[in-house]
Amino acid sequence: MIETGIPKLDEYLGGIPPGKSLIFSIEPGVEESNMGIHVLHHVLEKGLHGMYVASESSPKNLKKAFSEFGWDVKKYERLTVIDGYSSLIGSPSDEQYVVEEPHDIKSYEDALMMALENITGSGVIVFDSLSTMMDMCGERETLEGIATINDEIGGSQFAAVYNFIAWPYKEAIFYRIRRLFNAIVDVSVVEDVATRQRMHVRKVDWQDGAEGRGFDFKIFKPEGFRIYIPKISVVGPFQSGKTTFIKALATQFTPVERMGASVGLEYGLVDYRGYRADVFGIPGQERFLPLLGKLGASSMGILLLVDATRPHEFEFAKRILATFPGIPYVIVANKQDLPGALKEAEVRERFGLPDAVVVEASALRGEGVHEAFMKLVNIIVEGPHAR
Amino acid sequence: MLAKTGMDRLDELMKGGIPQKSNVVVYAPPFIGKEIILKRFAAAGLEEGERVIFVLTDKSFADMKEEMEKLVPSYREYESKGMVQYIDVYSSSVELKEESEWVTFVDSPVNRERIASSITQSLKKNEGHSRIIFDSISTLIVYSDAKAVFRFLQVLSGVCKRMDATSLFSMTRGMHEEIEVQTIKHLMDGVIELREEGARFQLRVQGCGEVISRHWIDYLLEENEIRLTGAFRMGRVA
Repeated sequence: MIETGIPKLDEYLGGIPPGKSLIFSIEPGVEESNMGIHVLHHVLEKGLHGMYVASESSPKNLKKAFSEFGWDVKKYERLTVIDGYSSLIGSPSDEQYVVEEPHDIKSYEDALMMALENITGSGVIVFDSLSTMMDMCGERETLEGIATINDEIGGSQFAAVYNFIAWPYKEAIFYRIRRLFNAIVDVSVVEDVATRQRMHVRKVDWQDGAEGRGFDFKIFKPEGFRIYIPKISVVGPFQSGKTTFIKALATQFTPVERMGASVGLEYGLVDYRGYRADVFGIPGQERFLPLLGKLGASSMGILLLVDATRPHEFEFAKRILATFPGIPYVIVANKQDLPGALKEAEVRERFGLPDAVVVEASALRGEGVHEAFMKLVNIIVEGPHAR
Repeated sequence: MLAKTGMDRLDELMKGGIPQKSNVVVYAPPFIGKEIILKRFAAAGLEEGERVIFVLTDKSFADMKEEMEKLVPSYREYESKGMVQYIDVYSSSVELKEESEWVTFVDSPVNRERIASSITQSLKKNEGHSRIIFDSISTLIVYSDAKAVFRFLQVLSGVCKRMDATSLFSMTRGMHEEIEVQTIKHLMDGVIELREEGARFQLRVQGCGEVISRHWIDYLLEENEIRLTGAFRMGRVA
């Protein structure tokens, strides 16, 4: 299996088997459209071969695209560029493999076959992009050529990854494309709380249960691909340890503390295991209760903090939770470092919420903090059945 | 709502200007004033407090900046307020360039996806009305193929409308086949067409909502000005 390096997608697909093809069908105008480059980089990092078929911008631009993520193309000896661009604009090419006639898909085929013959080993071939090739070589002709190319790759140790911008082509073209590839992953724009992108597995013929699954992400520079959750709110009664919790969780933190109490909206940026979330801490004094709904509006998930040594506050905590109906939540039984802190099962029972996810934590010691975060993001991304 | 073109008599002809959120192509042979219309339209937008996005395939952002500074005395001020953005598809991307907040470089006119997403990103930064000056469609077509450019414009015109932008595209007469021209026109809400007829320059407006006259109207071409001299009101003599 050849991993894509894209979190969640690898989990769903189990990677791409050598010989198979995957197409990213990308809505025009998304912030970042070059999905293939991330797969290319990941595969190169793993020490495998990476071929990059450039048809819409100069091979030199790959260096720039890599450098935006802090990657250095020179580092990868197993990177091969198949240049379908230079001939197009009539400039000389520095690459070993050149598509001499960029208006003929056969010429792409020839260059690729030559590369495949010369390079032994396993890896990925990234086409950037299929849509440009179609525009240059004709839609039907290109797809016929791609069928041949996919057959050839089928007998090799390489997996094929295509970037495809889904311009408004005729339906017949989309119909053909749906049949031509082993896997189709749609990439679209999501705009609600914050702009981000969505990946949705439309088809995959080597893995059961992956079709229809998806996740939201954003590509950050230079950090790269992240499953992105624009708003998680940390709520809970006064002095339940919200600030300490966010500090322990966040990579970056903006405090709003006055004499040990938080008097405004705290913000923390969490970057953890391929996930990124903007986390907001909402003050827990009772006088803030009427504002809770507004401050926490459009939260994608709630971390409800309680002091596990103060069960009499759980009733108030439940009232806080009730202001966010239908939003995924995790109850954090904090202050496990203190004697007498109630354990998971007991907290669940006292709350009277038998299905609630409860995580024991000590924000002070940084224990259980990331566990609670990961449980919550899993529920957000995968739905309530995920635990 | 109408977006003033910045040329008094053209605005008069168009009963106040170009309808907001519309996409209009300026179709003309080279050197008879197409660029003036684009720049005047940009200048008028800035004066109205609207933001302007230049998409340039035929000149660098630095050249456009210089030309606009000649035309608009307070251009630098508008720029420093962040009212001007450039998407530079001309300057070669061979050397790695520092992108500033207001300039986005796209390495190739073939990379339509990059152009579309740069425009979307720029529009997102803007509040209120924006104007897009797209110069030119012709270069895009020359570098790839007309059908691909139609699809691109189909997507782009939708985005521009949705994001409250009025767009002026330029297309050069003589570079395209008639069918290509017709298809592009079909995608647009209007066409401002220029021609040279003997020793006279003439302009005509198609589409663009209500206009006083749809006939060819004479104009004078001056350094940075297009002055309509022909009559377009009943009873007025040229």
